[in-house]
Amino acid sequence: MTGQTVGRAMLVTFLFVLVQETLMLRLRIGGVHPDVMVLLPILAGIVAGPARGATVGFGAGLVADLFLPTPYGLSALVGCLLGFGVGMAVVAVDRSAWWLAPLAALVGSAVYEVAFAALGALLGQQQMLHVAIVRIVVVVAGVNAILAAPALRLVDWGLPEASTEGLPSATAATVR
Amino acid sequence: MATPRRSRRPRTTLLLLVLAAVTIITLDARGTFHPVTSGARSVAGDAFRPVQEGVNAIVEPIGSFLAGSVHYGAVREQNQKLQAEIARMRLQQAAGTDQAEALAQLSSLLHLPFLGNLQTVPAEITDFGTSNFAATADIGVGRSDGVLVGMPVVASGGLVGQIVAAGHHTAVVRMVTDGQSVVGTRFGPPPGSLAVVNGEGWGKPLSAGLIPALTPLAVGDVFATSGLQGAAYPAGIPVAQVTATRNGAASNQESVTLSPMVDLAHLRYVAVLLWGPGS
Repeated sequence: MTGQTVGRAMLVTFLFVLVQETLMLRLRIGGVHPDVMVLLPILAGIVAGPARGATVGFGAGLVADLFLPTPYGLSALVGCLLGFGVGMAVVAVDRSAWWLAPLAALVGSAVYEVAFAALGALLGQQQMLHVAIVRIVVVVAGVNAILAAPALRLVDWGLPEASTEGLPSATAATVR
Repeated sequence: MATPRRSRRPRTTLLLLVLAAVTIITLDARGTFHPVTSGARSVAGDAFRPVQEGVNAIVEPIGSFLAGSVHYGAVREQNQKLQAEIARMRLQQAAGTDQAEALAQLSSLLHLPFLGNLQTVPAEITDFGTSNFAATADIGVGRSDGVLVGMPVVASGGLVGQIVAAGHHTAVVRMVTDGQSVVGTRFGPPPGSLAVVNGEGWGKPLSAGLIPALTPLAVGDVFATSGLQGAAYPAGIPVAQVTATRNGAASNQESVTLSPMVDLAHLRYVAVLLWGPGS
């Protein structure tokens, strides 16, 4: 990663935080607010592959945790697992397909919220299971699926270098 | 035909990141790292507040429009009810504006009967929780106003919660409904029996523990803070009232459901008690 790429990635992360802490916290649907920070590792996994997806998920999670009352590092843990998982899952898929980002955002966000609650409970935060998890999953996954396409353009700009990470070596050679 | 081999780098990266995240979580939970993380959270909150306020001023109309679109059905229904209410209110020549409600909440903070001589700092609620997994609220006062972690927060009616993070100009209140909230209380005729009131998550009723089976309790009975030595709250602040009890004959404890004394969903102003367990 070059200095310019790191700068771009940080700027994109800052924009996501800004949108989350302003617009999204005010947009409550059934008492639940959307969480666009979850989109970052998902889209980074699509754009940049599993390793950078995991790295972006970790970094974005640490930043998100600064604004959350939940255990520090939990978003980073789930974010890096999600970025890696999405990066690996889309290896065999045409990454330019229009439906990929919304579908990955829908499924990935749902997995993230469930994993976040489950891991939080595993770490002693039992109250994280005492929430309307279905409502949270529906709102977060639904909004993220809608926002995935425009957000993908932003993440694509933030992580411009083409990635062959996670691809089988034979396939990677053809991409290069 | 040889099977294509995948690069090991992504897996090594993931392993390192997972180890780093688990280490941070563990250090934070054990308290070693906590001053660093809470300090970072406080700095981030303070640094981001002006940006947040600036952007909010610009995008609030857009946010309101989006929120209005999402809640169109509910807004329409609410609108019809409000129109009917406005007509009735006009007939009665009564004024019922948003400012009046805010003023009522603020004035009620000046005359909280359970406060005695305790000093308070009034505060406006700026946000209802940044996480869907915790019942917290952000308020617009912080350390510069004398607000510290652990201080109780009250409103008209009774206890709202406790300060769990304090920045320079902002603080986070953990509501009594949060799953991590535990409040020591007394109920019944003086000196009163002891019980703990537990939060069960945002929007859910509270529960009471440590109440022996077949203890006489009625719907509407009020639980107030116990004020025992070392307690997190001063004595006598109303916390919740009983909404249902289940006969505990089969168990050794009574099962009690309560609702908070404060209408937390419509709260706009609170008062932070400048009080600590040693006060």
